[in-house]
Amino acid sequence: MEDQYYPWGGEFTSCNKNSCVAVVLLTTDYTPKNNVAIFGPLKTENIGIEKVVANVISNPNIRYLVICGEEIRGHRSGSSLIALNKNGIDNQHRIINAPGAIPYIENLNKEAIERFRKQIKVVNLIDVKDKDKIDKKIEEYINKSPPPFGKPYIAIKIVPKITSLLDDKRALHSKIIINYIGKVKKRGK
Amino acid sequence: MFSFTKEQKIFDISGVKIGGQPGLHPTVLFGGLFFKGEPDFDNAKKQIQKMLYLSYKTGNPGIPDFFIKKEEYIQKIINFIEKTLPKNYPFSIDIIEPDLKIKTLSYLYKKKLLSRTIYNSIHIGIKKEEFETLKKFTPTAAIIVAFNPKDKSPDGKIEVLENGANLIDNGLLNIVKNIGIKNVLIDTAAMAPGENSGASIAAIPVIKEEYGLPTGCAIHNVVEKSKWLNEFKKTKKVVDASSNVNISLFGGDFAIFGPIENADMVFPIIAWQDILISEYTQNYFGINPDENHPRRKLL
Repeated sequence: MEDQYYPWGGEFTSCNKNSCVAVVLLTTDYTPKNNVAIFGPLKTENIGIEKVVANVISNPNIRYLVICGEEIRGHRSGSSLIALNKNGIDNQHRIINAPGAIPYIENLNKEAIERFRKQIKVVNLIDVKDKDKIDKKIEEYINKSPPPFGKPYIAIKIVPKITSLLDDKRALHSKIIINYIGKVKKRGK
Repeated sequence: MFSFTKEQKIFDISGVKIGGQPGLHPTVLFGGLFFKGEPDFDNAKKQIQKMLYLSYKTGNPGIPDFFIKKEEYIQKIINFIEKTLPKNYPFSIDIIEPDLKIKTLSYLYKKKLLSRTIYNSIHIGIKKEEFETLKKFTPTAAIIVAFNPKDKSPDGKIEVLENGANLIDNGLLNIVKNIGIKNVLIDTAAMAPGENSGASIAAIPVIKEEYGLPTGCAIHNVVEKSKWLNEFKKTKKVVDASSNVNISLFGGDFAIFGPIENADMVFPIIAWQDILISEYTQNYFGINPDENHPRRKLL
């Protein structure tokens, strides 16, 4: 679902755009009430986190990110998202002290990450099973009703340059050339 | 349908031949056993037997890929492998959690199963502890996932294999060489729709020509992530199984499909595809199919 508030799209449900709470669902069958701004699942500790970050900073009303459900095994996406909020990324774009297997942020620039760290306070409810407790916590943060964090920040997706042209006779890829019967050889050899 | 100029490596992994020019060996099929919750070994045994029968019928080797997600399952699953699979038969272990990888390797060593183990997988998330453990307890084969989060194109995949793409300090191929793993399979890292999903297929001939190593991927993951297909439940399974033909058509050597329950669809589809490719590559490139090729077994 893509809309003007969440231009990166993804698998999420948007509810009250003026709400200050967004909810990330790890492994859980819990569904938040419709007084939150947006909620949706998080699976991976890299591309998944990038989408969550882009889709919360684009709505300045969102100030709290509640992470709930059982942690995603191996990926540890919930804990990696918390680590990103707390520590940011290193020079190799790895989330500092993230426990996930491949916690790299490559499609967001540093400015977007800093915005996320400043705009959002993470509420860690990982492994909390009591749904009433989660509801109550969400309610508690909604009632704080903090002011919006300035203007919407639309994160620009970093896309690698593609240099192929329509009249390019290279097949598939610049490193190889394929003749009419399908013989592949390295380009330039 | 392709033929490569670069010499293609062929590995014999505990009796299963993988790699070479398209049309020489049948596509190797890894069937995923995911075990939702407590492992159901009765069903797993049934599914493996079914896969082995399909493998016998078609000639396409079927390798069970065991997903291990909890520490308490390590011993249970490995003991099951030891008890259930035919003697010396290869298998792969698919683990995400770095700690579990280390513990599993140590138990595989203890059970003397490393000579049959295909380690799924090594990727840019590898840390010192996993590297050291792999050096100590080295499996016969490993799948290297060419996942590059900043560039999902074939170029980006080559970059992580070659130099680590500034994500890690060394290229994945060098890392594997330093560990001492002999049989290296390249997984081109299938991504979700919207994330350059087609690049995992386009990268197959590029990587085969660059390195000559057996190459494939888990293209069915792209189908799984195509949520719009949920509206077409019946078709989704067909798309899932048939998505694997892309791999062999583009010169690939193996497909990781899942779940193993889909074997009854995947094996005949790929056997059919392998026959198609073999007829072409024999005519145009003189590649005689191996004696276990579906073209020899089924026609």
